This record gives sequence, structure tokens and C-alpha cells, in this order.
Amino acid sequence: MIHSVMIIPVNCEVGLDPFRLLLIGLCVSSCAAAANAGDAPAIALLKAKCFGCHGAAKQEGGLRLDVRGHVLAGGDSGPAVVPGNADSSQLLRRVLSSDDDRMPPEGTRLTQEEVWLLRRWIDSGAGGLPEHDLNTKWRTHWSFQKISMPVPPVIEDSQRVRNSVDAFVIHELQKAGITPSPPADRATLIRRLSLDVTGLLPEPKRVQQFVSDKRPDAWEQLIDEYLASPHYGERWARHWMDVARYADSTGYEADQPRTIWAWRDWVINSFNQGMPFDQFVIEQIAGDLLPEASKEQIIATGFHCNSIFDGGVRWQAVVDRVNTTAAAFLGLTTECARCHTHKTDPVSHREFYELFAFFNDASATSFSLGETGYLDQVPKPDESGRMPPVTLAMKATPQPTHVFGRGDPAQLGIHVSPNVPGFLPQLRIAGDRRASRLDLARWLMKDDHPLTARVTVNRVWQRYFGAGLVETSDDFGMQTPRPKHAALLDWLAARFMQEGWDVKKLHKHILLSATYRQSSNDRRELASADPGNRLLARQVRIRLPAEIIRDVFLDAGGLLSRKIGGPGVYPWQPEGILVNRATPATWKKSEGEDAYRRGLYTWTWRLTPHPHMPLFDAPDGITACTKRSRSNVPVQALTLLNDPVFVEAAQGLGRRVLRGPTGLSAVGSSDPERLKRLFQITLARDPQPREEQLLLDVLERQRKSFHGQPAAAREVCGDAEADRGQLSQLAAWTVLARSVLNLDEFYTRE
Amino acid sequence: MTIDLSLFRRRFLETSTLSLAPIALQTLLDGNTMAADSPAVMPHAAPKAKSVIFLFMIGGPSQIDLFEDKPELNRRDGEPLPESILKELQFAQIQKDDPKNLMGCPWRFGRHGNSGAVISELLPHTASIADRISFVKTMRTDDSNHMFAELLINTGWRQFGRPSLGSWVSYGLGSETADLPSFLVLRSGMRPRSKGANYGNGFLPGQFQGTALRDSGPPILNLESPPGFDRERQRESIDLIKELNKIRYQQTGDSETATRIRAYETAFRMQTSARELLDLDGETKSTLNEYGVGDTSQSSFARNCLLARRMVERGVRFVQVFHGDWDHHSGIRTGLPGQCRTVDQASAALVRDLARRGLLDDTLVVWGGELGRTPIAQVNTKMKNVPVGRDHQIEAWTMWFAGGGVKAGHTIGETNDLGCLPVGDSWHVHDLQATILHLLGLDHKKLTYRYQGRDFRLTDVHGRVIEELLA
Repeated sequence: MIHSVMIIPVNCEVGLDPFRLLLIGLCVSSCAAAANAGDAPAIALLKAKCFGCHGAAKQEGGLRLDVRGHVLAGGDSGPAVVPGNADSSQLLRRVLSSDDDRMPPEGTRLTQEEVWLLRRWIDSGAGGLPEHDLNTKWRTHWSFQKISMPVPPVIEDSQRVRNSVDAFVIHELQKAGITPSPPADRATLIRRLSLDVTGLLPEPKRVQQFVSDKRPDAWEQLIDEYLASPHYGERWARHWMDVARYADSTGYEADQPRTIWAWRDWVINSFNQGMPFDQFVIEQIAGDLLPEASKEQIIATGFHCNSIFDGGVRWQAVVDRVNTTAAAFLGLTTECARCHTHKTDPVSHREFYELFAFFNDASATSFSLGETGYLDQVPKPDESGRMPPVTLAMKATPQPTHVFGRGDPAQLGIHVSPNVPGFLPQLRIAGDRRASRLDLARWLMKDDHPLTARVTVNRVWQRYFGAGLVETSDDFGMQTPRPKHAALLDWLAARFMQEGWDVKKLHKHILLSATYRQSSNDRRELASADPGNRLLARQVRIRLPAEIIRDVFLDAGGLLSRKIGGPGVYPWQPEGILVNRATPATWKKSEGEDAYRRGLYTWTWRLTPHPHMPLFDAPDGITACTKRSRSNVPVQALTLLNDPVFVEAAQGLGRRVLRGPTGLSAVGSSDPERLKRLFQITLARDPQPREEQLLLDVLERQRKSFHGQPAAAREVCGDAEADRGQLSQLAAWTVLARSVLNLDEFYTRE
Repeated sequence: MTIDLSLFRRRFLETSTLSLAPIALQTLLDGNTMAADSPAVMPHAAPKAKSVIFLFMIGGPSQIDLFEDKPELNRRDGEPLPESILKELQFAQIQKDDPKNLMGCPWRFGRHGNSGAVISELLPHTASIADRISFVKTMRTDDSNHMFAELLINTGWRQFGRPSLGSWVSYGLGSETADLPSFLVLRSGMRPRSKGANYGNGFLPGQFQGTALRDSGPPILNLESPPGFDRERQRESIDLIKELNKIRYQQTGDSETATRIRAYETAFRMQTSARELLDLDGETKSTLNEYGVGDTSQSSFARNCLLARRMVERGVRFVQVFHGDWDHHSGIRTGLPGQCRTVDQASAALVRDLARRGLLDDTLVVWGGELGRTPIAQVNTKMKNVPVGRDHQIEAWTMWFAGGGVKAGHTIGETNDLGCLPVGDSWHVHDLQATILHLLGLDHKKLTYRYQGRDFRLTDVHGRVIEELLA
């Protein structure tokens, strides 16, 4: 390592950083396509003496000598060869060295004649090697290819085809001899749409309207209406917060509070305002570097300030920024390359640190939401305990970056400059300035970038179908085979870019399709024909995420606050959640409306989150999460049955069914009519006869049992003031409401 | 354990195709006969163990410092590892240019019990049960990355998405109790790196996934019914939920709904059974002391071991106790003794306590992590290359076993003088899986599940029972 650093001044002398060297090298190589006569014996020598450790199978020190691109890019110790200049080439120095770093490390030294062969080869341009690794599959890996716009197939039976999305889907289904599912009924559809787009229950009145809406474009009207809802931004912000590993504390043992909700609100507003996705990304990665950056653009950079952070290991936050960028936009798992060249994907150890350099040049800094701009110090609460209005934002703090030997920051390797992995489109920078985060952000959104658009549309698709077209939504690398619906993925990605990264248009392509509108009922015959539903012959039932489960309980109970944005809130949580912390944390229960805000506003201590969150698979905020798991365990049932918040929602719903205005016409006050109201509020449908019978039987029995138990009735309905005459009625309806809220169907989007 | 063939049939119907035929459905969902979770395959042979407690040591304890007395290593402390051996090893962090010098064990070993088992002074309590446990000194795995090594040992596959060991066992044997989930997970210290995938159900039906208890504060929340809901009212509510869910299941055919129906039934029973399970008031002072449980309200490895015993006592099939972190790349001189203090006493107490209660014959206890550690030191380059820890070793490391069907006081497998390569036999983690299944009466080649058109096994196409370990 030490020797490898020593070679660097040679490069500096000629004023080249490794990146530019690479460009020059590539240029030279394309100019020198014709091999020299001396190339063949030199390459035969390399093959005999070097390829064993520096070839396709093994890359000691991250170096490959059998591919020209790798020879020029070099390994952990820097470029191996400077074409045309043998004396500046490490390769020659190392074969001549008598130190520990001599090559080959064992056996006899190269003869004078062999050294001369190499010298002549380098001086004449180091030609004759394949430009790229023809033996590695990444050259042809599907997701690394430029995105083209596939032509939607022509489908004979066009009845099933609502738009191009369907053409692709039905084409594949027909090849497999599978018919798509019929459309879901309208009540299911509006509930599905409402939950997917806003995360809230559809208004019973709106359900009725839609079910009887005869207009041919009723569905499109409905989509537009929901996409225009301010709650759309909340629902989709939460998805993005998963990717951005949002939380309100720093993580690690200290887990200090952090003020960054302004970034969360920026995301909500951006979705609601229909900000193009390229702008959305560029501002979050490098808003501060935009010319005359606005306050909002600086707030946007909170994206990467969400990393877990401990001042003693700042580098770990920088690593996380690389990994998150890769997972979120490139669909690559780069973590392996932190310690060594990636074993499956074409990302070298060195390239990891070139990405690292972009983020090493920046620091999360306190930024005033008032007029002060960046603050020198983390602000302290004022005398009344209130924090001044601040957020965290990125600020440029350029500094040198070195490769960390085996990922250890104590082992500084060669110096590297910001750059992107070589297998992806080049980062073109005018002049010789250092590449910046802004260059990286713009590069991600270039229309010849093979990954960003694919990865993004796939993640949007995943939210609507429970799984992406590519199931591993954070890994589009070599381990991930071409998906069955690759053409659809490409069409969506190409269209997304062509339409100016318009997110709402992307939603509409999916939502308008017959594919989205299919029934989610399981089909027995598909169990063998397409067990994972990869071909999309049906929709899927999806248990709602942690935050949304609570949202819809509160919504049904008439308790949910619809206030958007602002600092995190502290709804009730049981005792004992904040124990076992190295540093104490507080949970001053929010009062009034703030106790009933949507789940995405609940304050998140990374170490000790609100217990509903991990219970229903909310991510831990330690690293980027592109896909949540959906577990199904008894302890979840215990919480939905017994947790005071969910019981309170049932009590609210009981009252609402008995008394509250619902806006429903033709609903009176008989038991069956009330039951209908209960079902319309929660499930957007009427009860079936068998269900009605079961429920009314229980209602009758419960009413009777409460007659003799007024104290229990008061406890169940949670209303000490309830009119005595109404008490058993209210309590019995609360029992029913609680049961319906606990139905699989209620907290599942069908 | 009784095996009802009709139960077998209904599980078969449920898993082989998602049958919506009314008869199958009725049996599938009939909550009242949902006594113990019924087996899919029933034992293939007479079982030696009924339940398993897997004490999973996240990060890879240093077997070199705990179970491998290597005088030659100590003698050559500071010398480079011979090249001939080097080329056979894969490291996680140590790179080509790093020093690869041997580090002797800084702690003393003793020989314990009649068997003369080699155990470090760092594990005095484990030493005290030497004659009850057997060691395999040459476990091996394929991946030096924690995340994938965890997945390989716990799910048989190096990527996400496969069912875990505990869920395969639950699927194969069902539960001995309807009052608790058949597969429970306890955690202390650092969590496993592959998180819930270590105890997930993969493609198996959801009812077989591990249920993780909370690792801080109350282990299970909301065991009390809400005010005004006596047991009868709660029962009627849950029955109503069940009946309505059944109707929905008939219409949608979503297996998640079937899982949910079971989950609500189990939840109802847990309101009694889990409270009783978690209530340690009935444990004697001497038992608490033996495990080293101080404050019973605080989550700890010791409390988890005690809870694990209480779980198998109550018929839980598979308990996995995760504890981390043993990944001592650095700070091993203080970190390793610290972890040993956390884990040693309770691990030994568990084995002794099970034996005392006559449960050890039916319970297999497994102790170990996803990989081992090198005899080569990792060094602090800032401090004159002083040795500070050990890297990952996947070619040979130690696990120990006790109880249900394994020999006691026996050691199999041997490593070379330096403790880095097996001499003779070594056993892959697939062999561990095959052995655990075997002891439970399951044939790892026959325990299959059809998914995406092919039969999957925990051991993929590998695995052989470690015959030398069997009693």
C-alpha cells in the first residue's frame, strides 16, 4: 500500500488525475486499434506470468491485466500502465522492484529480455488486449443496456387491452396460455385506488357515486381526483422516506434527536406539486449546488442527511450515502465493494471510493428555515425548550478521498477523485475541474442512463402490485435475471423519460391499465402455471403498511387528523418502550389533534421506534429500504385487538355508525341499515346475507349481555357520559365495529 | 404427540394447491380443531428430539480462543502463516498486502469433565457442563460475508427468500401446543444482519414464520383484553372475526387470510398462555441466579435462555435465541471476554436446567454462529500493527450440541496445528440442518415443498447427517 502511494506523484507531475488518465487511455486505445508487432509476445508474457493473479478469475489488489480498460484503470494501487510511457508505468516499476512489492511476488524475476518486451509494449501504446472483458457477462447484462422504447405488441383480442401496459402483459400471458383475471368490481376498485394513492379509506359517498357513475371516463376522472388529493403526497412521501431511511434521530447508541421534518414536508409538497422526477432527484442530491439555490432546494438535500450519524465515524455516513444512492437510483448493492472489488457486479473497490468521493465532499449541516442560512453550530433549544426552525442540509466541504484498504479507514490507499463506475455511461465534465454531486445527480438523470428510469418505474410498479416487475427492487445487478416483463419495464421507463419524468403520468399509465384493475382473487390454476404471479394474470391482495393500518383505523373511527406536515408528533405508546437506551429519550404525549395525525408524522427514535412500526414491518431506518416485508404473526393480532389506539378507533366507529353523519343517502336507523353504514365506511361495500346474519346475531347477544353490565358497557364504548338508554346499544356496536376493523379485508388492500 | 391423518391430509391440500374445495376449506379453517398446528409430513422416523433451542451467536465467536487449544499456534505467535496454508483460506477483511501473522490465544484452556473437553477459561460455566455437551470442531460454510453466511445456516441458501430452519421444522412437524406459536424468536444485543429473513417463512405458508418477541421493554405487548372485554366477549369477537374472515377466504383464496385466521386464534390463546409464559414470578430465586437473571423486567440473554426453557416446556417446537455481536475483528481482548460473560452462564444453566427437569432428552440445544475466526491476527496499522482481532474463518469452526439424541461429552472433527483447516472430516452447515431435522425424525431429503414448479429442500441438493454426533 505504501509503495502504491509513492507512485502517485508520477501522475501528479503530469497533472493527470486517474479519471482523466482513463479518458486519455480510452482515446489512445481507440486510436491505436491496430496492434503492434510487439504486442503479441508481451501479452503472451503477461499471460504466463501475471494473469494467474490478475486475470478473469482472480484480481489480486483489484487489478486485472487481461483487459485493456482494467489495465488503464488499474487496481488498488492505481493505474498499472500509462500508455506510451513505460517509465511512468507502475507495471514496469513493480517488475523491476527489489522491494517487497516486486512482481511477480514469488519465483524467478523477469529476465532483462522480458522486461524489455514489456517496456516496448507500453511505449508503443500497450495495444493488443481486448478493450473490454469479453468473458464477463456484464457487457450484455439486460439492465445495463440503454433503454429503448419497445413497440407495444398488437393484441388480437383487444377487449382486454385498455392501454399499452396491457398489450405487453397480455402478450406474455397469451404466450403462456393464461387469460387475465376479470376486472374487480367498482367498490373494490375505488377502495384499492384510494388506499394506493392516498392511504386513506374512500368516502362512502364517493363510493356510491363511482359505483353508479355511467360516464365512460369515470375511472380516469377518479384517478385524477385522487392524484390531486394532498394526501397523495403523504402516501408517496412515505414510500420515499423508506428509501431515504428517514428517522428523527441519529441512530447508533447515542441516538440523538435530529430536526429534519422540513425535508419530509418538502417531499410531500414535491409529490403534490407534480415535480418532475429528474428535478426531484437533482435537488435532493445536489440542490445546494444549483446556481442561486433557493431555500427549498437546499432543504431538499436533507435526503442524504438522513444517514445514521456519529461524529466519530463520519465515514460510515458517507458509505451509507453511496449505498443508498446505488440502491435508490442504480439498483445496485455496492456495499461489497467497500472492502473489495464486487464479486458479482462490475464495481471495483476503487470505483466505490470514487463514488464515495462525491459524498465525502459534503457534510450534513444545520440550516435555518429563517433567513440565516447555514449555521456554524447545531442550534440549542431556547429557554422554553423550543427548537429554532432548522433542518439538516448538505453543504460542500471538499476534501481528499482515499481508498480504504479492505474498507478500513485506518488504511488509506491511493487518492481518488469523484467519478462514476466505468461500466455505466461516462461522466463528462468540461475542463479539468473536480466532479461534483451536481454532476453526479445530472448524470443519474441523463436519458442514456440505463438504470435510473428502470429502477424508478419498477419501484412505482411494486407499490401497485406488491412486487416489482423486477422482484429485487434494490438489485438490478448480475444476480438478477431479465424479468418476464422486461419489455413493459422498458416501455414504462422510456415513456417516463420521454414525458419529462412526469410522476403522475407514470401513475396514470399503470392505474388506467386493465392489468391494475384486475381482480386480486387467487386463481387455483395459476398455482402451477405462474405461482409467483410474475406474469400478472391477477392483482394481489396487499396487507397495508404499518403507518397506514393505524391511519385507516383512525379514519374509520372518525378520529384521524388530516393536517399535513410539521414537526413529528408523539401519539400514545405503551410504557417501557424507551427503556434500555444508552441516552435517555422523551415521549411527551401529543395532545388534541396531534395525537391522531397520520403515521408518517409519528416521531421515530431509530433505536426505540413506536412499537406499531416494527410490528408491522416498517423499516428500521438504518439503511435504505426499497421493499418492506409483510409478516403475518399472532402478535400483530394482539395489537389490533387490544392496543388502546385501535380500541379507541373502534369506539369512534361505533359512535359514528350509531349517530354520525356519513353523507350516505338511504341509510336509516334499523340494525341492518346501521350495519350497512359500518360496512360502507370500512369496506366500501354492503354486507352479504351470511355476513349480515352473523353480525346481527352477535349484535343481539352483545346488546343483551350489556343490559346487565352497564359498567362493562361504559368501558367498552369508552364514553363515561353515554346516555344510559343508549349504553348497551353503543357498546354492542363498538364490539361489532372492533370486529370489522380486525377483519383481514379491512387492513388489506384488495 | 398424536398424529391425525386427516390433519395431514388437510395440510397437504392447503400446501400443494390452494384448494378452494369446500371440504378442504372447512377442515383447513376449522378453528376448534386447530389444536396443535398440524404436521405437513409427520416424522419420517422415530424422533429423538421434540423441540430445538438454537442459541445463535451472531457474528462468529472465536473458536480459536474458546475451544481450540493449539500450542503450536501459541508457539508461533507473531510468525507469518505459511503460504501453503494461506492459499486454501478465504478471508473477509484481510487483504493480500496485509500482514498475516499468527496470533496465539491470550487465554488459558482447561480440560474438563470425564471427556476432557477443551474449553477456555473464558467459559467456566460451559466447562461445568462439559460432559453433557458434544463439540463439532470442523463446521464449515461457503460465504465469508455475515449476511449471506447467516442466510446459509438459517435458510440453507445464500440469498433472501427461502424458508428458515425453524419454519421448515414447524411445517414438517406442526406444534405440540395450540397456545403459542410453534416457532418463537428471542433476541438480545445486536440483531442478526439478515434480520427477519433468518426466521421468515420464505415460500412456506405464513403460519410457519417465526414470531419474534420484542428485545426491549415488554416482550409481548397487548396481552390484556381492552376494558369491558371479559374472556367470553373477547372469544365471541374473535369467533366473529374468524367466521367473517373464512367467508372472505372462500371468495379470495388468499393464503394470507388463512394465516391471519390462525394468528387470531393463537393470539386469543396467547392472552392466557403468553402471560403465563412470560411471568417469571414462579421461578425460584436459585433458578434465576443460576441463569444470571437479575431484573426480570429487563430483556437479556439470560432471561431469553430462561424463557426458551419455559417455551419448550410448553410445547413450542423451535426456539431461536439470537445474540450479538461476536464479530471481533478488533477489540477482541476486551470484547470476547465481555460477550462470554453475557452468554456463558445462561447457556450452561439452560442445559443443566433442562436436564434437571427431564426435558433435555427431548430437547436439542445447539450453540454457535454463522462462521468462525482466523488464527491470523487483524492488526491496528495506526499502532505499530498490534494485533487487535481475528477475521472470518469459514473452513473450520466449532459448534456445540446437547440433549435430544446427540452424544454427550464427545468431540468430533479436528483442525490442524494452527486451527485454520480441518484435518479429516468437516461438516457443512447443510449437514447441521440435515442433522437437526434427523433428530426431530425428519428426513432432510423428504422434507420438501413444491414451489414454482419444483420441490425445494432446506438442504438444497446437499446435506448429510452427522452420524458421528448421534447418540
